[in-house]
Amino acid sequence: MTSHTGRLYSLAIALVVFFLAWAVIATHPWATAGKDARLQALAVREAQLRKEAKLVQTVVAQRWANYQLQLKARKTAIAATKTSSAQNAPISTASSGASSASSQVKVVTLPPLTVTKTS
Amino acid sequence: MVRRRFHAMGTEIELLVDAASVEGALDAAEQEFHRLETLLSRFREDSELSRLNREGSLEAGPDLRRVVELALAARARSGGRFDPTVHDALVAAGYDRSFELVPSESDTYPGLSMELDMDVHVQDSMDIHVEPDRIRLAPGVRIDLGGIGKGYAAERAAEILATAGPCLVNAGGDVATRGGAWPVGVETSGDLLTLELSGSSGLATSGRDRRRWRRDGRELHHLIDPRTGAPAETNLLRVTVAASDAIEAEVAAKSLFLAGAEHAAAEADAAGLPAVLVTDDGRTVHAGGVA
Repeated sequence: MTSHTGRLYSLAIALVVFFLAWAVIATHPWATAGKDARLQALAVREAQLRKEAKLVQTVVAQRWANYQLQLKARKTAIAATKTSSAQNAPISTASSGASSASSQVKVVTLPPLTVTKTS
Repeated sequence: MVRRRFHAMGTEIELLVDAASVEGALDAAEQEFHRLETLLSRFREDSELSRLNREGSLEAGPDLRRVVELALAARARSGGRFDPTVHDALVAAGYDRSFELVPSESDTYPGLSMELDMDVHVQDSMDIHVEPDRIRLAPGVRIDLGGIGKGYAAERAAEILATAGPCLVNAGGDVATRGGAWPVGVETSGDLLTLELSGSSGLATSGRDRRRWRRDGRELHHLIDPRTGAPAETNLLRVTVAASDAIEAEVAAKSLFLAGAEHAAAEADAAGLPAVLVTDDGRTVHAGGVA
């Protein structure tokens, strides 16, 4: 009886030891250092990419703002040109033909603002 | 009235704007002249035009393509009196460097043959091909865009200045205006006639009273007759023409200059182009509606 109880205890202890050993081995304690290095590298890379992404977003935002400013200036210039063209429309239309050039030129007695010479 | 003068394209440029606070527009117009000079000058080794003349084919930018197209259209319109392929004839006549550096007869300089080579004739066939992104020259063809290039630059600058107000651009005789009324002096035989240009128009003067030199006892000038490949022999000293823009005026002035006094007035009348002709015997003839 005594030996039977002893064997049961022994078997129970052996089972506990076996599962403890299994659990220890399953955690791969020898691989912990390498895995951490890769994760750290990935983390560093992720941080770099996030930083670069923020930089790119900043540059894009700046360029977009510049583009908007240039677009606004361009639209203003186009509007001014259209206004100027509208003011000169009768003359511009007439100037498409050589015969209309004479209508834009007349001899005057005013002092000239500039002089045309042989080019 | 704001005025600015500067030197570009081998001549004096004058910008006038009838508005205040136009420094930005004036700066942009001046920069446009310098930019176009770097593209269109045959005296700059690195210009697009020099590269085209050297290599015979070039992936050219929009400005060079446009000016070449304008020159080809002008050649067709003028019946060949205006021709951009006079480059070699100009060089043979001695105009092979920026005009300030071309010596007069009294000057001597090494490296230039003193023998006149007037056998260089200009081309008259399909010698220039402008493709969507490339210009091709036939073998041996080289082009000069001096006059029409200045007209083009004057028009471009006027477009820029027009955003600021009525303006006038005078590129060494090639005048472009936008808006307003502009009294412009025209040299006659010993006097000055004032023509008023209005709206969007152009005025140009061509002649042999400037840009001339002597070689081997002969007086030469920069206006080549494409039919002979030599400086034009005409009884006209100077021709001033008004037209719808500076480019058309430049082409018409050269064309009438080559026509000679006998035909130029009739041609200007027929075309309705206001013109002032000065003959080499001192007469001044008004044509094309100039009273």
